[in-house]
Amino acid sequence: MRKWQLLIAAIFLLAALFVPLLALTDYTLQILFRVFLFAALGLAWNLIGGYTGQLSLGHAAYFGVGAYGLALFSKLGISPWASALLGVVLAMICAAMIGKVSFRLRGPYFALCTIAFAEVLRLVAKNLPNVTGGDVGVQVPLLFTHSTIRSFYWSGVLLTAFALALSAWIERSRFGYYLMAIREDQDTALSVGVNAARCKLWALLISAAITGLGGALYASIFLFIVPDQVLAMDISTEIAIVAMLGGAGTLIGPLVGSVVLESAAEIFKNVFKEAHLMIYGVLIVVVVLFMPEGIVGTIVRKLALFKKAPSAPFAAPGPVTAEEEAQRAAINK
Amino acid sequence: MVNWFYVPLQGILNGLLTGALYALIGMGMALIFGVMRIVNFAHGAFLMMGMYVTYVLFRATGVSPYYQFPLAGVLLFLVGYATYMGLLRPIRGQVDFMVILLTMGLTLILTDGAQLVFGADYHQINIPLLSKNIHIGSQISINAPWLVSFGIAMVLACALYWVVTQTMFGRAARAIAQNPYAAPLMGINVNRVQAIAFGIGSAAAGISGALLLPVFYLFPEVGNQFKLKSFVMVVLGGMGSIQGAAIAGLVLGVVESLTSLYWGNEWALAVDFVLFILVLSLKPSGIFGSQRA
Repeated sequence: MRKWQLLIAAIFLLAALFVPLLALTDYTLQILFRVFLFAALGLAWNLIGGYTGQLSLGHAAYFGVGAYGLALFSKLGISPWASALLGVVLAMICAAMIGKVSFRLRGPYFALCTIAFAEVLRLVAKNLPNVTGGDVGVQVPLLFTHSTIRSFYWSGVLLTAFALALSAWIERSRFGYYLMAIREDQDTALSVGVNAARCKLWALLISAAITGLGGALYASIFLFIVPDQVLAMDISTEIAIVAMLGGAGTLIGPLVGSVVLESAAEIFKNVFKEAHLMIYGVLIVVVVLFMPEGIVGTIVRKLALFKKAPSAPFAAPGPVTAEEEAQRAAINK
Repeated sequence: MVNWFYVPLQGILNGLLTGALYALIGMGMALIFGVMRIVNFAHGAFLMMGMYVTYVLFRATGVSPYYQFPLAGVLLFLVGYATYMGLLRPIRGQVDFMVILLTMGLTLILTDGAQLVFGADYHQINIPLLSKNIHIGSQISINAPWLVSFGIAMVLACALYWVVTQTMFGRAARAIAQNPYAAPLMGINVNRVQAIAFGIGSAAAGISGALLLPVFYLFPEVGNQFKLKSFVMVVLGGMGSIQGAAIAGLVLGVVESLTSLYWGNEWALAVDFVLFILVLSLKPSGIFGSQRA
């Protein structure tokens, strides 16, 4: 099943690389860029939210820090790509600090704590106009100057491919098994010697790095960002919803989730106009009620019914021999 | 006397007046969290519904929200009850994830529904009471509607406290909060108690919305900020502690008011969250509650 998932995703991503060769409008490419960007963000979220089971609802923090890192460092005269890299480092530093505090909490407390951090960052960015430009916003340099939209699209696909490859590798590594052990039962994991604090922190750092890079790409295509756009709770929830809709803790779930959700959002926007968020909400409610393991998770579980049954662990009872008969009689006596 | 005395005093008074409404919102959230261990992300949307219901009724009849808030309460109780029965009960036992996701989806539906019906415009209502101010001495003044809403919110908060601590329903609810596995063995109908608790919690949000309407402005996303604040209150008060959330609401009101006074309005929400993170990291069981995290 896992092999199939990887194969499907690989073919899909490979095909996606050639999409810009079709005669598509810039607008369509921009939408497709968004699909892959959120696929990559969902995959990054999946490391901490899916495999490790820590429901982060504050990924906008890393996204926004990546975006603002690109904008603010390049304002100091650093080249755009170096600024983006510095933004990623800054996002990881944020993740380390947020993780230090929030990983001591469990369940809903953790989720609320991550929201609080992201909101504090948003409000600080809003209220320090001298540094961030506040609500007026700040200009972001273009990361690509040649065939801009196509380059953004390709970089989105590549980021997704990278995040997917990384997830596939982590899923089968010792580190990945530690993460899943923490998700299943943190106390048991601790008792068999898993350093839960360190594993969770590493998962978050990797997740934050990809998210920060995604934020920088997103900011750069818009050329202009404000705190309510890149540090908003909407970003956090969209990332989490993409991953959970596709199936948290499955390999290609976030990719499927992003394709379904972002294209649905786009179609609804055109068909239902102002009510598109409502349909989006209905979609979420339906998935929670009827496919609680997400799209991929549910499909995998249904297909598992038709897997070849393992060979019987015990030999089938054959006819009783005379020798056994005698033994039994001896025991029963 | 001089300004250094009266200005902060006025700030604290204003904070307490706002805080009473926060307390009611927070108590609703705390009741739901205590009995169900779920974080209700739709709490703000329910408050928004209460506001719109009151707005429509006010437009239709002209009766002041301070007389017709019980209607919003009854309606939101039914909405909460139905939400529990139709949406939350089927996924009981699922991970927290799913409940949070579901209530987020519900928020999107309600918020966008409101936008569809009423548009994204800001609305405000005007009642004669709004222009009345009560002066105490020469320096302190209180806006009459705030005082009325303070009184109503305080009475309701005490009533809710009485219900939770003194009635059979309250005892059953507290039993479920203490141990959800043993409670049904003691003959408690967990489904019904949780549904009623969810209804009462939603009603508290709806009534708060009705009381907020005259002194606040109304738009589809109005609930979001109150949702975030109710998270803060529930954590501050100790998750699931009703009286803790009530005190936390008053404290939050005062803290916000003083922050706006000395530091600027735009920092008020940021200070809320910093307080929230500090409490979560230093004393996750909450300051005013006894429940353990």
